[in-house]
Amino acid sequence: MATATTAAYTAPEAKPASRPWFFARPAAKTGLVGWLTTVDHKKIGLLYAITSLFFFLVGGIEALLIRVQLAVPNNTFISHQLYNELFTMHATTMIFLAVMPLSAAFFNYMMPLQIGARDVAFPRLNGFAFWVFMAGAILLNVGWFTKAGAPDVGWFGYAPLTSNAYSNQFVGDVSTDLWIIGLQVLGVSSVIGSLNFIVTIINMRAPGLTMMRLPVFTWMTLFTAFLIILSFPAITIALVELMMDRSFGTGFFEVAMGGMPILWQHLFWIFGHPEVYILILPAMGIVSEILPTFARKPLFGYPIVVFSGAVIGFLGFGVWSHHMFTTGMGTIATAAFSLATMAIAVPTGVKIFNWVGTLWGGQIITRTPMMFALGFIWMFMMGGFSGVMHSAAPADAQQQDSYFVVAHFHYVLIGGSIFALLAGIHYWFPLVFGRIVSEFWGKLSFWVIFVGFNATFFPMHFLGLNGMPRRTAVYDGNMGWNNANLLATIGAFILAVGIGIYFAVIVYTYFKGKKTSHDIWDARTLEWTVPTTPPPEHNFHVTPTVHARDAFWYEKTHAKEIAAEKARVAAETEAHGGIHMPSQSWYPLVTAMGLFIGALFFAHHNYTGAIVGAGILLVGVLGWAFEGPGGYHLHVKPDGTVTGGEGQDEAKH
Amino acid sequence: MRLRFVPSARRITASLSLLAIAVLTGGWSNSVLPVSGPQSTFDTQGPVARAQLDVFYVTVWVTLAIFVIVAGVLAYATFKFRVKDIDPNRPMPPQGHGNPLVELGLIAASIGALVIIAVPTLRAIWYTYDVPEEHRANAYEVNAIGLQWWFKFEYPLEQIEGAGPLVTGNELVIPAGRPVRINLRTTDVIHSFWVPKLGGKVDMIPNRGNHMWLQADNPGYFWGQCAEFCGESHAVMRFRVIALGAEDFAAWVEAQKQPARSVEAPAPGTPVATFASYDMTRKKRNAPGYSAEFDRDPMAAWTAFQFPDKDEDAALIARGRELFREKACVTCHAVRGHEGMGVTGPDLTHFGSRTTLAAGLLENTKEHLHRWIVHPNDVKPGNKMWMGIGTHTNVTMTGYLAWDGETKSYTGKRHIEVNDEEARALVEYLHSLK
Repeated sequence: MATATTAAYTAPEAKPASRPWFFARPAAKTGLVGWLTTVDHKKIGLLYAITSLFFFLVGGIEALLIRVQLAVPNNTFISHQLYNELFTMHATTMIFLAVMPLSAAFFNYMMPLQIGARDVAFPRLNGFAFWVFMAGAILLNVGWFTKAGAPDVGWFGYAPLTSNAYSNQFVGDVSTDLWIIGLQVLGVSSVIGSLNFIVTIINMRAPGLTMMRLPVFTWMTLFTAFLIILSFPAITIALVELMMDRSFGTGFFEVAMGGMPILWQHLFWIFGHPEVYILILPAMGIVSEILPTFARKPLFGYPIVVFSGAVIGFLGFGVWSHHMFTTGMGTIATAAFSLATMAIAVPTGVKIFNWVGTLWGGQIITRTPMMFALGFIWMFMMGGFSGVMHSAAPADAQQQDSYFVVAHFHYVLIGGSIFALLAGIHYWFPLVFGRIVSEFWGKLSFWVIFVGFNATFFPMHFLGLNGMPRRTAVYDGNMGWNNANLLATIGAFILAVGIGIYFAVIVYTYFKGKKTSHDIWDARTLEWTVPTTPPPEHNFHVTPTVHARDAFWYEKTHAKEIAAEKARVAAETEAHGGIHMPSQSWYPLVTAMGLFIGALFFAHHNYTGAIVGAGILLVGVLGWAFEGPGGYHLHVKPDGTVTGGEGQDEAKH
Repeated sequence: MRLRFVPSARRITASLSLLAIAVLTGGWSNSVLPVSGPQSTFDTQGPVARAQLDVFYVTVWVTLAIFVIVAGVLAYATFKFRVKDIDPNRPMPPQGHGNPLVELGLIAASIGALVIIAVPTLRAIWYTYDVPEEHRANAYEVNAIGLQWWFKFEYPLEQIEGAGPLVTGNELVIPAGRPVRINLRTTDVIHSFWVPKLGGKVDMIPNRGNHMWLQADNPGYFWGQCAEFCGESHAVMRFRVIALGAEDFAAWVEAQKQPARSVEAPAPGTPVATFASYDMTRKKRNAPGYSAEFDRDPMAAWTAFQFPDKDEDAALIARGRELFREKACVTCHAVRGHEGMGVTGPDLTHFGSRTTLAAGLLENTKEHLHRWIVHPNDVKPGNKMWMGIGTHTNVTMTGYLAWDGETKSYTGKRHIEVNDEEARALVEYLHSLK
C-alpha cells in the first residue's frame, strides 16, 4: 500500500509560494532576533554559559554576605530571616542556576562538535530548554524584589517547614510557592535538554564514531543526561505533592492529616544524590579531556574510566539515605546505605587512579587549563576522602549538618565541579572565540582561587568537628569557633578576588585577547577539527569520518589519507543537495513564555492567570507543530567559501 | 610572559604545603583552629560519642594513608614528567592506553581499604542505635520534645501526683554513669538533638517515634544545639545537659517534683527597692549571653543556681507574681502550685534553678532575663512569646504583638507591654522559683 501511495503522489509544488506571517521562519543570524530565535547549539551553549556565569556571581555574592555575617561571633550584619534566605538561595542558585547550566553550556557547545554532528537532534527543543531554564531562574529569584523576600526553607525544603503553617511569614507570602514552581520549571528544562542530548549522542555520531570511541566528555554527557531523566521525576513528584498541599489542601506532608514528612526526605534525596553526580560527572569529563591533551598521551584505561562513570551513575541511585543517617532509619537500612556509599568510592577512586596514570610517562605542559585540572584532582581527592568519612554512619552522626559537611561538599563542588568548569572555559576558549587567555593572568587567577578556596573551606572541617552546626546565622564567641570562621571569611574574599581576576581576564580576552589558531593545545578530539574559530554555523565543512578514539590525533598523523577521504565525502554531500541546516523559530521562546507566565500566576494562586499562561503555552506548541520542519542547505566550495542559507533554497522534504 | 610564572608557582606550592602543615599541626594543638570547644566531638565524655569517634579515627587513618600514597604519586608524576612547552622536535611520549593489571590491582586495594572501614562501622551502627542489651535494665528514660525554638524534657519515670510526669525546659538533667534512653518527639517541624560530647545527633521528626541513647561517664555540664534547620531562629535553639551523680540526681528530682517555691509577701507599706542595681540599657540583637566566669566552672555555677538568692526582695517578688498573671504569662507558662497553667511555653516551676534561659542561649542572670522579657524579639526573632502561639498566618493565642483575626495580620500595635519596672518585678519573681 505504501508503494501505491508513493507512486500516486505528485509533489504539488517544490517551493511553497509564501507562508502566513506567523509561520515565517526568522532568518536573522545576529542581533536580538538572532539570539531569541536561535536553534544553533553553539549559540544556545553560549546563552547557557553567560546566564550561568551571571548566576554564579549572584550565588557568590550571597556566599560573601553569609561569610561577612559569620566573620565574628554574635554579629548583627544581617538578620536571621535574611540569612536563611541567603543560604537557601546560595545553594539553589549554585546548584540549579550555576553549575548545572554551566555544564549544560559545555554539553551544548562541545558534545555535537565532539561527535562530528552539525547540531543536536532537536534544535528547537534545545532552544526551548534554555528559555525554560531562564523562566525557572527568574521564578526562583523574583522573590528578592517582593515583601516576602526570597525562599527561606533551605534548598532541601524539608517538610513540614515548607507547609503553609511554618513557611509563610504573612498571609499571601508566596516565596515557598515560587521555589516549588521554579524548581519544577527547571526540571522541565533539564529533562528536555537531557533527552535531546541522549538522542543526539545515540543517533548523530559521525561515521566510524563507535560508542567506545566517544570522547570521555561525551560519555559523561550521556551519563549525566540519563541521571537527570531518571532522578528529576522523583523531585517532581515531591514538588507536585507539596504544591498540592500548599495550593489545594491535600495532606501528603501535613502532619495533622497523617502526612509523613520523612517521605519528603526520601523523595528529595533519591533525586538529590544523583544530582551530586549530575554536578560532578561533567566535571570529570572535562578533566578527562584536558589531562590527555596536556600530558600528550591517551587517557589511561579509557574503558574503565567510562565504565566507572556508568557504575557511579548506577550506584548513585542506591545511596540516597546517607543524607538521612540521623533520621532514625534503624540499623539494617543504615548499614546498607553505609556500605553502598563506601562502594561508590571505588569507581570514583578508579577515575583518580586513571588520571594519575594518564600523567605518568607523559609530557606534562602546565598551562592554565592544566593547572585547574590538576587542582581539580587534588581538591576532589580531599572532598572524596571526607566523603568516605561520612559514609561511616556512626562518625556521620557527629558530622551530619555540621560545618564538616559544608567543607566536604564545597571541596567536591568548588574544588571539583567549579575547578573543572573553569578549566574547561580556559581550555575551549581559543576554539570558541579564537583568542587565548594570557598565561600569566590565567595562572595568577588559578593560584588566588586555589589559596582562597582552601583558606575558606579547610578550616570548616575543624569547625564541624568542634561542633558548629550549619545553617546558623549567629554563634557565640565562647565555642572556639572564632578563628576558623574569621579565616574562612578572609579566605572567601581571597576566593572572590581570584574569581574576579578570572572573569576580568576572560572578558578582556574576549575583546582584546591575542588571536590564535584554534588548535593551540595540539589537542586530540574531534571538536578541534572545525575549519574556523569561532566554528561556522554548520560546524564542519565536511562531516568527519572517525578512525580512532582520539580522532583528531589520528587525523594529524594520517593527514594525506584523511584529505582524500574528506574530498570524497564533500562531493557526496554536495550530490545530496549540500549541508542541511535547521531553521530558526520563535516558538520555543513563545512556549517557554507561556510556561513562565502560567507558573508565575500559579505560584501566586491566581488560577485565571495560570490558565492564560497555559493558553500561551498551547499557542506556542501549536505554532511549533504547524510551522513545519523548515531547514535549508549550505554549500561549501573546495576553497572553503560557503554559499546558501535561509530563504535561498527551501529544503525539500 | 607566560612561562616566567612557573618557578614562582613552584615556590607558592612549597610555601602552601608548609602553611597546610602549620595549620594542621596548629589545629590539632588547639592554637590556631581549636577542636576542644564546649561542643567538641573529640572531647568525648561518654561511650556513644567515643564509639563514634573511634570509627571517625579509622576513616581518618585509612583515607590519610591512601591520600599520602596517591597524592605522592600524583605530585611525583606532575614534577617528573613536566616539560616546558610543546616542542615539535621532541619525540612523542609512548601512547599507552592503560594497564589492566594495574587497574584491577588498584580496584582490589581500594575495596580492601574500605573493608577496614566497614567492619568497625557496622559494629558501631548496632552499638550506638540503642542501649546495649546488658545495660538495658539500668537505663534511665526521658522524653525530649523539640519545639520552635526550644526543647521540652519529660521524665516519665518521675510522676507527680495530679500533674503527670516531671517536665523541664532546655536543661536536661540526667544521672551520670547510667545509660539514658531518650525518646525524641516534635510538635511542629523537624529538629535534631545534638550534644556532641555525649553523642551524635538524632532527628526529631513529626509522625515518627525516634529514640537515641547516651551516657555521661562522669558528672558534668554539656552544651547542645538543634542541628536541623527548623525556621527563623534555628541558630539560637540550644540546650544544656547536666549529668549528676546518683545522689545528687535523686535530690534534684525530689526538689523538682515539689511545687513552685513561694516567698511570703511582706507587710503592705514595705518600701520597694530601686532599679539601679543592674544594667537595663537595650542590648543589640544577638548580643552575647555568656561569660568567661561561668564557663570556667559551669558545674559550680549550676550548683549555685539551686539555692535562693541572698538579696531577694519579697515585695518585688509578690508584685512579679501578680504581673505574671496580669500580663497573661500564665496562659502559656506553667508554674506548678502558683497561678501559671499554660502548657505551650516552657514550664517555669523551677525556672530559677536553671543556668540558662531562652533555650540555652543566655545565662540566667537578672540582666539577661530582663532583656528577654522586655525585648524577646531582639534575642530570638520570631519567637512565640513575641509573635503569639500558632503560625505567622494564623495566631491562635496572642503574644506581645496584637493580632487581627479578621484580616489575619499583625496590627502593628502591642498586645502585651512590659515596662522596665514591671520587668524588674517579673525577673525577681522568676528568679525566686528555685
